[in-house]
Amino acid sequence: MQSSDSLGNLGILVAIAGGALRGSIPYIYVSLGECLTEKSGRINLGMEGILLMGAMTAFAVSDQSGSPWLGLLAAAFVGGLFGLLLAGITELPGVNDVAAGIAMIIFGSGLAFFFGKQFVAPMAPQLPVIDFGQGIANAGVHAALRISPLFVLGIAVAFLMHFAFERTRWGLHLRAVGDAPDAARSMGIAVRRHRVVATTIGAALAGIGGSHLTLYFPGIWSEGISGGQGLMAVALVIFARWSPLRCLAASLLFGGAQALGPSLQSAGISGFYHVFNASPYLLTLVLMVLSCSRTRRLDGIPGSLARRG
Amino acid sequence: MTSEQNFEGVAIPVIAIGTALLLFSLFCAGVGASPGGVLASIYTAGFGSWYAWQNSLLRAAPLMLCGLATALPAQAGVITVGNEGAFVVGGLAAAAAGLATTSGPPLLCLAAMFLAGAVVGGAWIMLAAGLQYYRGVNAVISSLLLNYIGIALLLQLVEGPMRDPDSLNFPATFPLPLSHQLGRIPGTRIHYGLVFGVVACLLGWFLLERTVWGMKLKIAGGNARAAKLVGLPLGRIVLTAGFLGGACAGLAGMVEVAAIHGRASQAISAGYGYVGILVAFLSRQSPLRILVVSLILGAVLASGGSLQRTHDLPDATINVFEGLAFLSILASEALAGRLGFLTALFKPVSTEVADAKL
Amino acid sequence: MHGPARVEAICIGKTFGPVRALEGVNLTVPSGTFHAIVGENGAGKSTLAKCLLGFYRPDEGEVRLDGVPVSTPAEARRAGLGMVFQHFTLAPSLTVAENLVLARTDLPAILNWKKEKERLRTFLEHAPFQINLEDRVEHLAAGQKQKVEILKQLYLETRVLILDEPTSVLTPAEADEVMTVLNALVRKEALSVILITHKLREVMAFADDVTVLRRGRWVASCSVGSTSIPEISSLMVGNAPLREQSARTDMTAGGAVLEIQNLSVLGDHGLPAVKDLSLTLKAGEILGIAGVSGNGQRELVQAIGGQRDIASGEVRVAGKPFHGTRADIRECGVFTLPEEPLQNATVPGMSVAQNIALRTFDQAPTAKLGFLLDRGAIRRAATAAVERFSIRTPSIDTPIRNLSGGNVQRAVLARDLGARPPKIMVVANPCFGLDFAATGFVHNQLVELRNGGGSVLLVSEDLDELMKIADRIVVMSDGRIAHESTRAELDLAVVGRYMGGHE
Repeated sequence: MQSSDSLGNLGILVAIAGGALRGSIPYIYVSLGECLTEKSGRINLGMEGILLMGAMTAFAVSDQSGSPWLGLLAAAFVGGLFGLLLAGITELPGVNDVAAGIAMIIFGSGLAFFFGKQFVAPMAPQLPVIDFGQGIANAGVHAALRISPLFVLGIAVAFLMHFAFERTRWGLHLRAVGDAPDAARSMGIAVRRHRVVATTIGAALAGIGGSHLTLYFPGIWSEGISGGQGLMAVALVIFARWSPLRCLAASLLFGGAQALGPSLQSAGISGFYHVFNASPYLLTLVLMVLSCSRTRRLDGIPGSLARRG
Repeated sequence: MTSEQNFEGVAIPVIAIGTALLLFSLFCAGVGASPGGVLASIYTAGFGSWYAWQNSLLRAAPLMLCGLATALPAQAGVITVGNEGAFVVGGLAAAAAGLATTSGPPLLCLAAMFLAGAVVGGAWIMLAAGLQYYRGVNAVISSLLLNYIGIALLLQLVEGPMRDPDSLNFPATFPLPLSHQLGRIPGTRIHYGLVFGVVACLLGWFLLERTVWGMKLKIAGGNARAAKLVGLPLGRIVLTAGFLGGACAGLAGMVEVAAIHGRASQAISAGYGYVGILVAFLSRQSPLRILVVSLILGAVLASGGSLQRTHDLPDATINVFEGLAFLSILASEALAGRLGFLTALFKPVSTEVADAKL
Repeated sequence: MHGPARVEAICIGKTFGPVRALEGVNLTVPSGTFHAIVGENGAGKSTLAKCLLGFYRPDEGEVRLDGVPVSTPAEARRAGLGMVFQHFTLAPSLTVAENLVLARTDLPAILNWKKEKERLRTFLEHAPFQINLEDRVEHLAAGQKQKVEILKQLYLETRVLILDEPTSVLTPAEADEVMTVLNALVRKEALSVILITHKLREVMAFADDVTVLRRGRWVASCSVGSTSIPEISSLMVGNAPLREQSARTDMTAGGAVLEIQNLSVLGDHGLPAVKDLSLTLKAGEILGIAGVSGNGQRELVQAIGGQRDIASGEVRVAGKPFHGTRADIRECGVFTLPEEPLQNATVPGMSVAQNIALRTFDQAPTAKLGFLLDRGAIRRAATAAVERFSIRTPSIDTPIRNLSGGNVQRAVLARDLGARPPKIMVVANPCFGLDFAATGFVHNQLVELRNGGGSVLLVSEDLDELMKIADRIVVMSDGRIAHESTRAELDLAVVGRYMGGHE
C-alpha cells in the first residue's frame, strides 16, 4: 500500500485496474461459457456449482501432481463432465432447465466441498505469472501488470468464440439452433448435438474459470472462494447481449467494480463496501429494466430463449 | 387412462428415488463408506426418534415457506428464484420492526415482526413478478440478481447502521430480548415457525383449489392470453401471487430471526431459499406436496451433522445426496407417459386377481 | 444432377394409430411440370408431401425420383427434393445471406464471407426476384420471407420443389407474383413443382395437372385444361351433404352497439398493424370483415378483446368506452373469440369443465359467498353444455388440450353462446379446420344470436362463409377498412381487388 501512498489517487486507480484484471478472470470464463450455452438456446444456471468444482479439482490435482497446468486441464475436464450431465438432463422431455441448473449448484458445490475437505494444504503449486511490467520501477504499477496466463487465454477464447460464431459453419449452425430449432432441424442440422456440445464446452470454460480461483494469488481452497461469481454468469451474458467480445468487456467492468470495494477500503472509505460489491447486480437489473419492454424483445437474444415466458 | 396416470404417479417417484439411492450408494462405496450404514444413519437422524423428528420438523418449516415462495408465483405463470433474497430482507425487516417495538408487549412485537417480514419479503418478489409482467424482464434473472442485492443490503446494514457494537467478530444487530422471541410449541423444541409453515401450505392449497381467486390465478398461469380474453386483471393477479410468495419467504426469514438467532446477521442466509426453489419444482408447485417434500428434505438436512459423527464423512455428503436426488427426480419427469411397457407387465396380473375375486 | 426430375408415388399407405391417413395414393409428376394437389382439410395432402420428402416412411408403397426409390430425408435431399412449408423455416435473427448460406449442404468449415457473398450475388443475378442480403429475416414482411424460402430452394439447386399452401400468408398480389415465378421456372425447365393448395383459382391459372385427394384416398388426376373449378370442387367434396342454410330472419339492423373510433394498434414487432380504423357494428347484424390474413385482423380482434394494448383511438360499446375488463365484458355483454381457440381462448391444461366455466366461475351459482368455488356447480353446468353442444370428450374432467380441434371450438362456443349468450360476439375464423357438420353448426349459432337481436363481428378469410351469413361485409387491407358493401350488392371481383390492396 506504500505505492498507493506515493502515487496518491493515481495509486488507487492503478490498484483498481490491477484488481479489475485479476477479478475479471472468473467472470470472463463463466460469461463466455454461459454465452456459448445460451447461443444454443439453453440456460445453464448451475455455473456456480461448476465453478466451485473447477476450483476444487484444480487445487487438488495441482497439489497432488505438482503441476498447476495439469490442475487446469483437470478443472476443464470436470467442468465439461458437469456440462454433459446438465445437457443430458435438460435434453430429456419435460425437464425444466432452471430447476436442473439449481440442482447442479447443489450437486457441484456438495461434491466440491466433500472432496475439498481433504485438501487442507495451504497452497497448491500456482500457475506462473506473465510479467508485462518488467522494468517499471513503481511497485504498484508493476504489481498491476503481473498478469495471469488465464487472462491472456480468456481474451483469446473470447476472440475465438466471436470468430466461431461469425465465420465458421459450426457457429452459424449453432446460432440457427438457438434461434429457430425447428427451422434448423428441417435443414438437417443436429439440434441436440449442437446444444449438448455447446453446454459441455461452456461448462468446461467455467471449470477453467474455477481453476483461476485456486491456482492464482492467494491460491488457497476454501468453501467461500467463489463468492457467488458463477451465479453472475447469466446476468453478465444479458448485460453483454450475447456477444463474446462484449462478455469480455462486461467481465472487466464487473471485475473493476468488485476491485473498487477493497480499493476504497484501503483508501479509508469503507462505508458502503457491501453495497458497492452489489453494484454490478444493481446495474444489471437497472439496465435490464431500461432495455426490455413488453412488446420488444432484447436485441441479440437467441430466439428460443426469448420465446419462453 | 386414469389408472395409468395413478400408476405413473407412484411409479415415477419410486424409480427416481430408487435411482438416487443407488447412485448415492455407489458414491458412498466409492469413498469407502458403507452405503447401508450411511443411509441408515440418514434415516435415523431424520426420523429415528422423537428427537430426530423434532430436528427434521424444525428444518422443514423454512422449506415449506420457501417452497411456497416459488410455487405461488409459478402457479400464476411467473418462475422466480428470489427466495433467498426475500428470506434475507424479510428477516432484516423483522429484526428492525422487532427492535423498534421491544418496549411493547411481546405479542405486539411479534405481530410487528410478522407483518414487517411478510410485507418486505412480499414486495421483494412482487418487484420481480411486476418487472416481468410490465417490462418484460425475465423474472428468473431479475430475482436471481435481487438475491445478491438483498444479501448485500443485509451485510451493509448489520455491519453499519444496525450493528450492535458488542458483536465484535461476527457483526449482527442488537439481540431481541428472550421474552420477545418466537416461542416453542409446549412440550417440544419446535418453534411456532412450523405452525406458520403448515398453515401456509394448507391455506395455499385451499386458496388455489377451492376459491375463485385460486382459479383466477391458475387461469393466468395456464394461459395468459385466455385470462385476458375473459377480462381477468392479469397484472393484479401476477403481482398478488408474487406478493404472497415473497411474503412466505419473508416470513421464513422472520422465523429465522425471531426463533433461531434472536437477531439478524449474515448467519440467517443459510441457503433455505435455494433449496426452496427445488422443493417447489419437486412438488410440481403444489402446496400439499410441498408439505411432504419439505418434511423429507428437512430430515435429510437434519442428518448432515450425524454423518460426520458416525461415519467421519464431511457434512457436504448430504449435499451430494441432495444433488443426486434432485437430478434423478428432475430427470424422471421424462418418464411421464413412457411407462406403458411397465403397465403392460402389471396389468394382466391385476386383472387375473380381479377375476379371481369375482 | 441439374434440371427437373420425374416424381412417382406408387400406392402409398400411411396409418397413424387408429387413423388411416393415406390409402393407395398414386401420384405421377412428369419431369418439368407444375402439379397441384388439392383436397379438403384432412384429405392427406400434407401427409403425402411428408412421405415424398422421406419425413414419414409410408407403411405401403414407395416414392421414386427418376425411377430411383427415395425413403429418407437425406436421400430425398440428395436426389434434389426440396420443400417450402406453410410455416417459415428461417432463423429470424440471422440475415438473409446467413439463412441462404446455412441451407448449403456442402458448406466449408471456415466461412469465407467474401466468397459466399460473391456467390450469392451471382446467384441473385439470375434469380426470379431480388432481396437485400443484409436484412435480418425478422424484419421482412411475410411475402418477402416466402420469397427467401423459395430462393433458398433454388440456391440449393432443388430439382423438385414441393410447396405446402405457400400463399396462405400472402396477399393475392404477392401470391400471384410467387406463382408466376414458379410457373416461369417450370417453363424454363429449371425444376418440377408440386403445389399443395386449396385455392382452386391458383390451380387453374398456374398448374399443368391436378390430383384430387379425399379422406386419404386418391380420387382423380387430370390435366388442368380438361377440367373446371366446379368439377374439381365436387371431386374434393364428394357426396358430402351440402352446407345446410341457416334460417335467417329478415330484420333491419338497429342502432350502433359497438363503435371503433380511429383505432391504431401495434403488431408483435412494434410496427403499426391497425391504422386509424373506424367501424360501427349495429344491433341485429352480422358484420363480416374480409381480407387476407396478416392485414391487421388478428390485432384488431385482440385489441377489442383487451388482449392487446391500444396505441390510439377508442372502442365504445353502447356509447361507453370499453376496455375488456371483466366488469366491462359482463356489463356490455361483449365476448371475443379469437382464432386458434386452444392457444388463445382456453387454458389447455385445465379440464373441459373448468374451461367452460371460464367466463362465469366468479359468479353465483359457481361462486359461493363471493369467494368459494362450487366445483359441483361447475361440473353440472359443463355436463349440460357438453350435451347441448354435442362436445365429444371422454369426460368433462379431461384436459381440453386432449380434444380434437372441432370439439375445442364447440367447447368455447358452448362457453360463449351457451347459458348466457352475449349481446355482441367478436369472432375470428371460427370454422378453421372444422368439417362440414361443425361448420354448419357454428354458422347456425351465430345466425341465431343475430336473429335474437345480438350482433356479430365476424372476421374471416373465407369469402364463401361471409357471403353465406354476413349482412354487411367490409374488406380489411393493410390495417385499414378498404371497402364496404352489403351482402346483396357484393361484387366478388371488386372485393378481391380490395383484398389485394390494389385500390
